[in-house]
Amino acid sequence: MLSKLTVSCAPHIGGPFSTRRVMVDVIIALAPAMLAACYFFHAYALILLPTCVLSCVITEYLCNLLRRNEKPLESLGDFSAVITGIILAMSLPPAIPFWAVIIGSAVSIAIGKMVFGGLGSNIFNPAMVGRAFLTASFGMLMTTWTVPATIDKTMPQVSAASPDAITQATPLGHSKQAIKQAKAPDKTAASQAQLVNSQLKNLFVGSTSGCLGETSKLALLLGGIYLLIRQVINWRIPFAVLLSAFVFASIPWLINPSRYISPIAHLTTGGILLCAFFIATDPVTAPLTGKGAWIFGAGVGAITILIRVVGEYPEGVMYAVLLMNSVTPLIDRLCKLTPVGGKPNV
Amino acid sequence: MNVATVVGTEFSGGVHPQGKKELTADSPIQSGPAVKRAVVMLSQHTGAICKPTVTEGTIVQAGQLIGDSDAFISAPVHSPIEGRVTEIALQSHPVLGRAPAVIIEPHASIPVRKPRPQAQRFFQADTGLNDYTQHQICQAVRKAGIVGMGGAGFPTSVKIEPNPRLPKHTMIINGCECEPYITCDYRIMLEWTHQLITGIKLAQKASACDKVYIGIEDNKPEAIKVLNETLQNTPACKDIEVVTVKTKYPQGGERQLIKAVLNRFVPTGGIPPTIGLIVLNVATVAAIADAVVCGSPLTHRVVTVTGEAIANPGNYYVAVGTPISELIDFCGGVTQKSAKVVVGGPMMGIAIADLSIPVTKTTNAVTVLTKEQIGRAKFARRQTACIHCGRCLQVCPERLNPTKISHAVKKNRLDIAQDYFITACTECGCCSYICPANIELTGYIRTGKIYLARQKKLIPQ
Repeated sequence: MLSKLTVSCAPHIGGPFSTRRVMVDVIIALAPAMLAACYFFHAYALILLPTCVLSCVITEYLCNLLRRNEKPLESLGDFSAVITGIILAMSLPPAIPFWAVIIGSAVSIAIGKMVFGGLGSNIFNPAMVGRAFLTASFGMLMTTWTVPATIDKTMPQVSAASPDAITQATPLGHSKQAIKQAKAPDKTAASQAQLVNSQLKNLFVGSTSGCLGETSKLALLLGGIYLLIRQVINWRIPFAVLLSAFVFASIPWLINPSRYISPIAHLTTGGILLCAFFIATDPVTAPLTGKGAWIFGAGVGAITILIRVVGEYPEGVMYAVLLMNSVTPLIDRLCKLTPVGGKPNV
Repeated sequence: MNVATVVGTEFSGGVHPQGKKELTADSPIQSGPAVKRAVVMLSQHTGAICKPTVTEGTIVQAGQLIGDSDAFISAPVHSPIEGRVTEIALQSHPVLGRAPAVIIEPHASIPVRKPRPQAQRFFQADTGLNDYTQHQICQAVRKAGIVGMGGAGFPTSVKIEPNPRLPKHTMIINGCECEPYITCDYRIMLEWTHQLITGIKLAQKASACDKVYIGIEDNKPEAIKVLNETLQNTPACKDIEVVTVKTKYPQGGERQLIKAVLNRFVPTGGIPPTIGLIVLNVATVAAIADAVVCGSPLTHRVVTVTGEAIANPGNYYVAVGTPISELIDFCGGVTQKSAKVVVGGPMMGIAIADLSIPVTKTTNAVTVLTKEQIGRAKFARRQTACIHCGRCLQVCPERLNPTKISHAVKKNRLDIAQDYFITACTECGCCSYICPANIELTGYIRTGKIYLARQKKLIPQ
């Protein structure tokens, strides 16, 4: 006997993918970096990560209530707010006070995502919007870098005048100092750049100061490889980001290797790997086509290095991503696909 | 004598749904049900709808012409059984909604037509291709009402007739059967091999093609082996070559098959004859042999009745006009879990609610799916927001931008949809299949195409 029959358009079967599964894969890929954060920053990570995730999820729920969404809990099921929370936490200095974290998370979700209409409609990466807001509002908090519990003591302080037991400049801070002092006939500049170059192993493993999740390049690479194997992200974006950053970082280094840190050091410091695998690859805010992904990734890499080398900030990943997000619709329009049979003769 | 396995190239995109062919792959072609009430649609093809040539009360013989049209692109229809025309009325049609049909009730005791056990023997020997002229073959194909039996239903006579403006040089026989579940073409290749090859030779002669390729997916090694052996043992088959192509949906789409076999692209908006090619389905070619050699019109075809919710899945030789409800009952009915009855395969088939819809010349399968097979989210049609992951772009075999087109259609911006080549879509369904947000991209694109056709007044409001 026939039960009730459904009628809908073809195809009648679906693939194994779902939005939730894509997001869960990203969370799995972030796990090594989260563990590394807990290892290097101990309690800071254990406070920061849950605070960010919880405040992001709660903000999304409140926004859904405000929008009179009939099922305010439904949109939480895709775990996209959780990912925003994790990425925001990973891009913050470990010692940032929790009230600032809550403000940042709320801005990420409310201004970064929900005002545009929720998942899929936002123009900018929500986590980066929240971070940009915090940088603009609490500049001091956002540049106080905690020493990891496992720090290598050979890293010197930025300036001998302010000895501080628990904070230390990031490697990129050293790099920036080296560039700024380039005009002065001062040996410290060169030595600061050389110092960063000499610490590649520590930088790679993560034993350095910096944002919570960006220090351990090893953990980020592991997660990135997982995403590439699972084909969750467009492989062109991380490759384009890293390649373009490498090329653009080589130019100043080839001109003056004593003043500028090496391109390898550029790739192992700061948030470039976190950005390449987890931030720039956010599908919502990245271009759709393959060619567009190359342009987008190359732009992110180039702007990052431009800010690091020429700009005022030591790190440029956040603004690079936000700037390239804003031109994503244009890139998509520029990189229109041609059908396999060529353009029709109309 | 070419026996080396020729491997084709690969088309870009495509998906790999579960084949599910094992349900019916080993089930030989059997006789179908005895029809209690044949509903023969007057439109079973692309082109002009036929006018009935019989009236209510006419006594018809099996194979008698019951509908014809003077239009160039059309195909006549014939009665599958001996009986009396009880009615000429509008009936549910899988594609057109409601369409005119001739309803025939059989005389009390007519035997069910067998799937021609004699055919194999008949085609065994050299069938004497020289007995038929090019013109005779084309006329026989036209008179038998043969249409593309893979799904589109384009009149075959129009395809194979020599056209001085578009001379043809190569013919591709489509034995891919890339749709999940369906095995009717596979069984034809295995069981009706000689008939198939006769049909190929006839079609080749009619269309004056120099070279013939048979494209078969590599998940059918048996069919490849049988065809290669038969070709080897049959004289005058040197110009027929079996090409193994990759198992990937939609390998059986003619544009994708041409890419795979010949590594050529059919221009967007063009048809294969514009580059001198014809693509014919395996079942169609077998019907050509039937029509030319035996003189029998296309009134029966092999239908795969399958799906997890069917009690006895199998391949059946069914009279065109058999209501799908009769066919399902003949296969032991459906289980409790049935959720969707699809005419055709699950990727491109049409879900029907009215089971009185009859088998037509293009019905290659009836698939009854369960909720589990459809997928829970897809069954509930729980669409979420597009996250621009770009998977639909990756799998589109025509290299289109499905998400952009469907967003444009949603916002009623047909100009943008056209800008992104909506008309180049072949509606294969790969984008909807892969979409993690369960968006019915193919559905939106189809809707957009219908709107466009209405705008251009190609179809009535």
